[in-house]
Amino acid sequence: MFLTRSEYDRGVNTFSPEGRLFQVEYAIEAIKLGSTAIGIQTNEGVVLAVEKRVTSPLIEPSSIEKIMEVDDHIGCAMSGLIADSRTLIDRARVEAQNHWFTYNEKMSVESVTQAVSNLALQFGDDDGDPGAMSRPFGVALLFAGIDEKGPQLTHMDPSGTFIRYDAKAIGSGSEGAQQSLQDVYHKSISLKEACKNALTILKQVMEEKLNSTNVEMATVTPLKKFHMFTKEELEDVIKDI
Amino acid sequence: MASTDMIRNEFWRNGPQPGSFYNFPGGKNSEQIGSAKRTLQPIVTGTSVLGVKFDQGVIIAADMLGSYGSLARYRDFSRVSKVNNSTVIGCGGDIADFQFLKSIIEQRVIDEECLEDGFSYTPSSLFSWVTRVLYNRRSKFDPLWNTYIIGGVDEEKTFLGYVDKIGMSYQADSVASGYGAYMAQPMDARSLNKYEVAIVTKDGVEIKSPLTSETSWDIANFVSGYE
Amino acid sequence: MATLLMKPDETSSYAPKQTYFSPYSFNGGTVLAIAGDDFSVIASDTRLSEGFSIHSRDVEKTYKLTGTTVLGSCGFHGDVLTLTKMIEARLKTYKQHHQKTMSTSAIAAMLSTMLYYRRFFPFYTYNIVAGLDDEGKGCVFSFDPVGSYEREAYRAGGSASSMLQPLLDNQIGFKNQQGVEKVGLSQEKAVALVKDVFISAAERDIYTGDAIVIQLVTKDGIKSERFQLRRD
Repeated sequence: MFLTRSEYDRGVNTFSPEGRLFQVEYAIEAIKLGSTAIGIQTNEGVVLAVEKRVTSPLIEPSSIEKIMEVDDHIGCAMSGLIADSRTLIDRARVEAQNHWFTYNEKMSVESVTQAVSNLALQFGDDDGDPGAMSRPFGVALLFAGIDEKGPQLTHMDPSGTFIRYDAKAIGSGSEGAQQSLQDVYHKSISLKEACKNALTILKQVMEEKLNSTNVEMATVTPLKKFHMFTKEELEDVIKDI
Repeated sequence: MASTDMIRNEFWRNGPQPGSFYNFPGGKNSEQIGSAKRTLQPIVTGTSVLGVKFDQGVIIAADMLGSYGSLARYRDFSRVSKVNNSTVIGCGGDIADFQFLKSIIEQRVIDEECLEDGFSYTPSSLFSWVTRVLYNRRSKFDPLWNTYIIGGVDEEKTFLGYVDKIGMSYQADSVASGYGAYMAQPMDARSLNKYEVAIVTKDGVEIKSPLTSETSWDIANFVSGYE
Repeated sequence: MATLLMKPDETSSYAPKQTYFSPYSFNGGTVLAIAGDDFSVIASDTRLSEGFSIHSRDVEKTYKLTGTTVLGSCGFHGDVLTLTKMIEARLKTYKQHHQKTMSTSAIAAMLSTMLYYRRFFPFYTYNIVAGLDDEGKGCVFSFDPVGSYEREAYRAGGSASSMLQPLLDNQIGFKNQQGVEKVGLSQEKAVALVKDVFISAAERDIYTGDAIVIQLVTKDGIKSERFQLRRD
């Protein structure tokens, strides 16, 4: 006896007869409601740019944070249920510091992503693991960092799958933004160009008019490590687009 | 009550008393051992075990005496034992602890044979396991007060290893524990001329027991101070 | 060393004889490492002893950890065996997790934490890590039993360390020498020096002898050499 789709999307650990985990797929859908975030990897470093939805003039824009520092050499942009990301970022930070504490070296971007991915998969509706989430995380992450392999950009979705990209867009405007990234990206793109492109593409997909308060941008470079752009630095880039 | 004593007497667990330096690795002072005293001494003991490799196998020998202090209390204790067709184990030290570990090993060998997968413990795997067990017990301050000599043949290669009560182990071509470590044969008051040997070759295990060595006290009169 | 290993109650000689359990013993052994510009040498003797007896004349106390790192470890052999097994397991899991071999400095940092985690029931081991650093330069890290560590140019550890170290200070560090040209150390000189100082140590220290195993770490790999010492 087959059950309908609506009966297979209840348990997070139940495969449908077609071999799908609906709750995980729904979580991935949730990302598409989120604000757009873009990452571009260059030879000089990686840039992350996100839109902030300032839906009311009474909102204090600086309290919306969608790019976070994981360690000196790793930053993370996010889209989806931002509250869910706190748990994941916390894990990333703890893992990175723990690695540094034990081995006195920087944790690689891939290892940090792997550690977060392990946590992203620790969901289940049983009582087995107290403290674990009962549902998949509703957030996608872009990890940008520099390690011994050079600049790296990695995307991770709620299924815990992580893939490296030269350039990647997530969130509501991701479809259009990804196409634009494909058009502008080339292997020898400079970081400055990438910053400009990131904001240009954000501007195209954003509903509000882009300005220095409703976007965030950060770079990770060998010299400055993780660097969040100030209002002035943002305005400097915005005036050229 | 105990906890206030702890606070007064030491900075931290296993730590020094106020005003003293950390005494490393001297262990605890008598006050700290205090009420937590455990059975930390052997009762009925066996003396040396010897093990020697030869061209096609290994031989392990031990006498059959179980001493109670200086008293030759038991005269028929077996201190070498067959583990399987390729491995033997010999033991010195507390005989109760040996019998305890021996029963665990025997049960493990039975469990393993029940699987009928053709696998059996090799001398080196048993050696490694015994080393870990003895080290873990010493780390819990609850040691098995034994010295073990494990010998055998695995794929035509001979094996001989030594493990003591604190998990110190090594392999060698010949090993001896206890008083026998100082001489080729036991001439200890706590030894007996009745002994056993276990011989392992690729063809299996043979235990020769009991054997006796001829003793002669005729020459005792020539030893100065014997009179 | 003997005073360190005194049983807790040996001070009161009037008390009835009691057997106290000590979880430690001292099994002797000396390790020594020297860092050169593009190499490092690490050596240990092969004697395993306890009190006045020798358990074995053929137990190496250097442990190859990776293609560029060697550990020298001596003290209580039970702890040495346990610690080296734990390190090997950690090296494997590190490689599986991070898809790379641990660097010498990472191994040193990890060893420090492993030792310190046993701060209140320490591994009674003297450790020296030698190898090449991330730039390919020779490096030596020395440790105390509870995990304090530093990078050094040369270091002796274990039973005869207090005899070897001043000799190295003089011959490699040019300490207490006047008007001497401070020349860099060649591989050949380092290996010859290791043999010389171990010969001297074996003369005076009963816990050092039988043979030494010398491991020479270069970018081309690890070369192992054996050298006889006196066996009495």
